[in-house]
Amino acid sequence: MRQAKKLLEEIGIEPERVEMFNIGASDAVLFAKAADQMTECANRLGPSPLKKARGVSK
Amino acid sequence: MPNSKLKQAFDKGKFVVTAEAGPLKGTFTEEIEEVARVLKGKVDALNVTDQQSSVMRLGSLVTCHLLIDRGVEPIFQVTCRDRNRIALQSDLLSAWVLGVENCVALTGDLPSSGDHPHAKPVYDLDSVQLLQVIRGLNEGHDMSGNELKGKPDFFAGAVVNPGADTEAAYELQILKMEKKIAAGARFFQTQAIFDPNVFAKFMKRVEHLKVPVLAGVIPLKSAGMARFMNKNVAGINVPEAMIGRMTKAEDKTRTGIELCAELIKSIKDLCQGVHVMAIGWEKKVPDILAAAGL
Amino acid sequence: MIVAERKLFEQIWESVKDLKSLLVLGCGTCVSVCQSGGEKEVGLLASELRMKSRLAGKEIKIGEATIERQCDREFFDSIKDKVNEYDAILSMACGAGVQFSAEVLEPVRVIPALNTRFIGVTVEEGIWAERCRACGNCVLRDYGGICPITICAKSLVNGPCGGSKNGKCEASQEKDCAWVLIYNRLKKQNRLDDLRRDAPIKDYTTQTHPGRYVNEAYRKPELEAQHAE
Repeated sequence: MRQAKKLLEEIGIEPERVEMFNIGASDAVLFAKAADQMTECANRLGPSPLKKARGVSK
Repeated sequence: MPNSKLKQAFDKGKFVVTAEAGPLKGTFTEEIEEVARVLKGKVDALNVTDQQSSVMRLGSLVTCHLLIDRGVEPIFQVTCRDRNRIALQSDLLSAWVLGVENCVALTGDLPSSGDHPHAKPVYDLDSVQLLQVIRGLNEGHDMSGNELKGKPDFFAGAVVNPGADTEAAYELQILKMEKKIAAGARFFQTQAIFDPNVFAKFMKRVEHLKVPVLAGVIPLKSAGMARFMNKNVAGINVPEAMIGRMTKAEDKTRTGIELCAELIKSIKDLCQGVHVMAIGWEKKVPDILAAAGL
Repeated sequence: MIVAERKLFEQIWESVKDLKSLLVLGCGTCVSVCQSGGEKEVGLLASELRMKSRLAGKEIKIGEATIERQCDREFFDSIKDKVNEYDAILSMACGAGVQFSAEVLEPVRVIPALNTRFIGVTVEEGIWAERCRACGNCVLRDYGGICPITICAKSLVNGPCGGSKNGKCEASQEKDCAWVLIYNRLKKQNRLDDLRRDAPIKDYTTQTHPGRYVNEAYRKPELEAQHAE
């Protein structure tokens, strides 16, 4: 995970876009929390710069 | 004709005193000349360090020459860090021509500890081999066996660290000391000692070697300096009691000199002399010696 | 094995950003084992480059391939045709592999993606350490199988300097003092007296570069004759 974040950072993509959570199948609360965190993160960061780049080049 | 006063002092069984002077960075030589003036007649010889701590500065060889001109007998320190065997042999011959008769062979700190950390470390020879080479030059031949037209007659010494902290490092220091003697080392200067008991134990251990040993001493300037050396310098261990006295001292300079003088007095009977590494306090060396009754 | 580490992405990007197409070429031997230039690392670097080129608004065609060894001619056969489709090769081999790729694939341009560090071993998963400086004159017999040329920061052969502290090297408290290791190993082997021997002066003629070695069985008599003249 640390390496994946580093790779993203190297090329200029926010490392927060990738995250790993260890959640048991019965842990609904934790799952919801993680989903919220990722949603919040995605909203804050906006669309992936890669998507934007593809739009521009097309 | 060779007339190393240092050698003569050892031969006469005198308690020998050497000190150390480091050239500065640049061409300014007034400072070292002043040190020579202050120490003339007070020490038997003065070591001139060779790019000490791997910090680039004026060379040891030319500084030795300056000392000779000012009536102080130099000890040319030669490290293996910066020169290959060709340059080392050549510099030794040059030194002899300039009137230098004593030298000390050292390994040398790594360049990474100095102000040119990206430099190539050489270490073509090690200190034992450098002593063998000096002996060869004295015998009139270079490392390849070629005859020299005119040969030196160096009085060569070496260094040893009596405060090595592990059994392995300690035993290896003694083993290497034996090798250095076999390679032609005629006297030793030690890493700085602060604890007379450690030094007494070491001298007992090397009793069989029958070689003059000059105990290295450093006058403390502050408790912080002592703590720094304890933490960072291999083989140095300043006892807590000594650090305590420095902490409490009102006049730190006086206490530093007193402590150093007391140490010299307490080890005087164990060894053949003392080597004062004053690290910037070169001009205070006469005070230290006077306080130690030398 | 030969241990290498990847150059900073910034440096790699600088050297490839103006190309139209690029083949990332891995090496399946040493650098695969030390996880810097094998098939997996080729995939990662190629993906990074694709994303980066898109972010930078560039269209670089990026291919991937890995051959068994870039230091052996025979393994290049499988990629010889493919290579012609690309402006350049980004080689993830050691320095020898990069040079040999450039030689075998001439005139294709070959760019290095790694920095070659040393000949070493796997200390533990993900950690490699140097064990040989290829001095051409192995002295391991005399030092209990621990190389003072390699492990001692000053390559001292007659004993340690005064900088050994807590069994560590003056260069770094993370590195063992080679001489403490040697002493302890020889003590276990009851061979401490071996240390009394004066080490021979180093012979750098065995390190004349570039090194070359010919197996006896492959020596060409006519060349030998020429040599003798």
